[in-house]
Amino acid sequence: MTTKKKEVKRRDFLKGAATGVGVGVFAAMGMYSYSDARKEMFPKVERKQKDIGVCRSIHVTNISETSWFDNATLIGDIKKGGGLLVNQYDYNWPPFGNGKGLGKGSYADGMAKIKEFLPDRLDEAWDVVLENCIHPENAGGYSCLVEMEEMDGNKRKFLLDSGWSYKWMDECFKREGIDTMLRNKEIEALFISHEHFDHYWGLPVTLKYDPEITIYIPEGFYEEGLQYIKDCGHKGEVHTVKNGLFEVAPGFATYVFPVPIICRVYGEQSLYFNIADKGLVSVTGCCHQGIIRFAETAYQEIAYENDNFHGIYGGLHISPFDDWDPKYDDLVISLGKYGFERIGCNHCTGVLCAKKFINAGYPVVEGTAQFRSKDTAYLGNGDTITFG
Amino acid sequence: MERYGTNYLEERKLVKRWSGPTPALLNLLFTLIVFYATWWFFHDPRGVMRMYTPYVGYMYTRWWLIVMIWMVYLFNFWPFKRKWLESTHPLTKGIVLSAVSVGVLYILIKGFFEGLLGNYGLAYFNPDQLVKLPGITEFFAVEYSCLAILMFAAIASWLSPAWVVAMEEEPWSKLPQPAKGFSMLICTFFLSTIVYFVTMHPHMGILYHPWQSFTSIAPPYWEKFANTVSGNFHVSWIMCCTVVVWLVETIWQRYPFNLIRHPWLRRFALFFGIIAISLAMHFFLYFAQELTWGEAIRGTRRAFAPDWRWLHVGEMAIFFLVPALFLHFYCGNWPKKFSMPVNVLVRTIITLVATIALYIGYYKVSHLFLGTQKGFSHPQQFPMIPMIWLVNIWLVNHWFMDNWPGWKMVPKTVEEIEADHVAHQAEIDDVRWSPSLGAGLGMGALAGVAFYAFTIYALPGLYAAVDILK
Repeated sequence: MTTKKKEVKRRDFLKGAATGVGVGVFAAMGMYSYSDARKEMFPKVERKQKDIGVCRSIHVTNISETSWFDNATLIGDIKKGGGLLVNQYDYNWPPFGNGKGLGKGSYADGMAKIKEFLPDRLDEAWDVVLENCIHPENAGGYSCLVEMEEMDGNKRKFLLDSGWSYKWMDECFKREGIDTMLRNKEIEALFISHEHFDHYWGLPVTLKYDPEITIYIPEGFYEEGLQYIKDCGHKGEVHTVKNGLFEVAPGFATYVFPVPIICRVYGEQSLYFNIADKGLVSVTGCCHQGIIRFAETAYQEIAYENDNFHGIYGGLHISPFDDWDPKYDDLVISLGKYGFERIGCNHCTGVLCAKKFINAGYPVVEGTAQFRSKDTAYLGNGDTITFG
Repeated sequence: MERYGTNYLEERKLVKRWSGPTPALLNLLFTLIVFYATWWFFHDPRGVMRMYTPYVGYMYTRWWLIVMIWMVYLFNFWPFKRKWLESTHPLTKGIVLSAVSVGVLYILIKGFFEGLLGNYGLAYFNPDQLVKLPGITEFFAVEYSCLAILMFAAIASWLSPAWVVAMEEEPWSKLPQPAKGFSMLICTFFLSTIVYFVTMHPHMGILYHPWQSFTSIAPPYWEKFANTVSGNFHVSWIMCCTVVVWLVETIWQRYPFNLIRHPWLRRFALFFGIIAISLAMHFFLYFAQELTWGEAIRGTRRAFAPDWRWLHVGEMAIFFLVPALFLHFYCGNWPKKFSMPVNVLVRTIITLVATIALYIGYYKVSHLFLGTQKGFSHPQQFPMIPMIWLVNIWLVNHWFMDNWPGWKMVPKTVEEIEADHVAHQAEIDDVRWSPSLGAGLGMGALAGVAFYAFTIYALPGLYAAVDILK
């Protein structure tokens, strides 16, 4: 009798305990998880304050920011090709067209048609491209020249990205004298921000003038992207930059962010310059990681002059297709807190976003809207900006 | 009077064709094959229709789920007669009922949302209206309208089943079909509309430039406490509600709310209890991300953005749904041998462990099979879509096909139905207040708090140790 009574009590206890666990868990979750007290649990972030040195100034020349000329055409291709998650090498865009139509391309097929012409006979390659690719006339590209002045007055030149269309980029390189600089080996390295078509597929245009140029690509390139460097006839060094900080020269470092990006691209490399007496300048290709993330990473990882964010140049990846989303307004609202003193944006920032920045009173450096750039709200093709 | 399918799910006996785990494994294999084939055909960016743009595929996936809930839970299979449900081959039933659900889905999207609302009410429900906006491309016109329609779906997929699970179909439970179904449909649709206007419409209002301040609250009222103007804050807790409704209905057997004897007190307690549990989940899953990835930063993109974190709460919640439904549909809601509270706790633990495994597995390999992108925070990646698509396949299999091929359906006798009711009531009556129960409740609550404290203490280390994306 006593035994039975004990069993019953133990059973009741278990029933209560099982119920109580749920009550306790959910009560704690609800009351603590979004309270201010939770912040005590956050991992303490210690600023690493890595010293990357300083440089005197940088001067950026916008070789081309028009990655494509018509949003509706590009995004129409993407829509009909299967959306933003399709492998970029499958769209049948230039230069990897195989003549099979939208969404049915392949790197191998496309490359087989043009390989013999790379990198020197780009006109002939482009003729083949015109026959086999979807909307070759819409391809443009993103590329800029960064001239850095060191503290002793020595000047060094670097190329960020190599655009997309062979034809358009060759015109732009000639317009800005990049062809001559490359031939003369004045430009010491090409940094590729990420594997996207509009930043990377114009690689042969750089190699046409300097096939031995040193190339830095971010970790995360796919097999096709790595093969492309070889197939383009590159004869110099290729460095795959690992995720995180990479010091290039006094006052100049890159940072690779492991971010997933549309069209099956992964990882982005952006540039930091520490300008003496001024502060940090961020130079980006597309900035898929986000400019705030880029700034916060700098704050945590490196030391820079006056602890000050001095400037931005490049694509800030807000509304590249004239699309909008309320979360982009979060950026417009919060960017002001970071105190950038000069904002030179273009490309995937989007015209609407640049206009919102201007309306918010941010120090946006406006452009001339020349050479097929669309609006003066940002720095267009051929425009320049100096920091320091 | 024709009962159509009233209580059909409860009054069918699913008999295993083979003993042991074979039927469950067979059905898992069968449904996974159907999932992958249909995923490739409809959604996969490398497939045929490529609807994973992503919002087009997402919208149809969410509304298909709701249409099936309407057909089964609200309309009890009306107008299909009980005899047809009991005597037709499961494959035929699956095909016919699925075809009907897809037909209703198409009429709803094209006729109601795009045609009626989009042309005569809110332009953003119709891409043809949106494309008239200067600068907007056809692609984003379609994506925006699909986003609006699927935001509505998120609410409806919580409220429609909640009316059956929590409100027990009242006050219309005694009405014959289709009056009962239409009553609940109109009521839940009306409530969904109100919730949509105060949670999602302001999001759409600031989607356009300039902000539509005279037709919506812009910037939205939640900006301060959500740390974003994005409506993903609401997507988060509403998705949790959608999941909790099903947890309550399946592995929790409506426990402990079923202990409340007063009908209306029980119904309201359950309805608002689902919301309360969901809010706890919503805040915790956001906190879990802060612990593993660091504090969110307003204005940034991807994994560090508050809007993405809120969205990811909803995505994490969906991972709970998959093992919970599998346990219920294919494992007979195992275990059943203990008291109801202990059974519920064991099932919850199993679901939790399976959820974590599924989450890790998904992010490790999904990009290899589903045509999605590697990484947690790709702007076009929504694990909710394949998860709900799989759930949809399971609902077709469980509701429309009586778990074929692993099971066959035999109608229960009147005596068996009565015995089920008695057994269920006995399970409820088994949980009675006693000093031992009270002591257990107190100790359990302390253990629950301790478990929570341990979890948030251990999460950063556990996350770092697993390193999912490598």
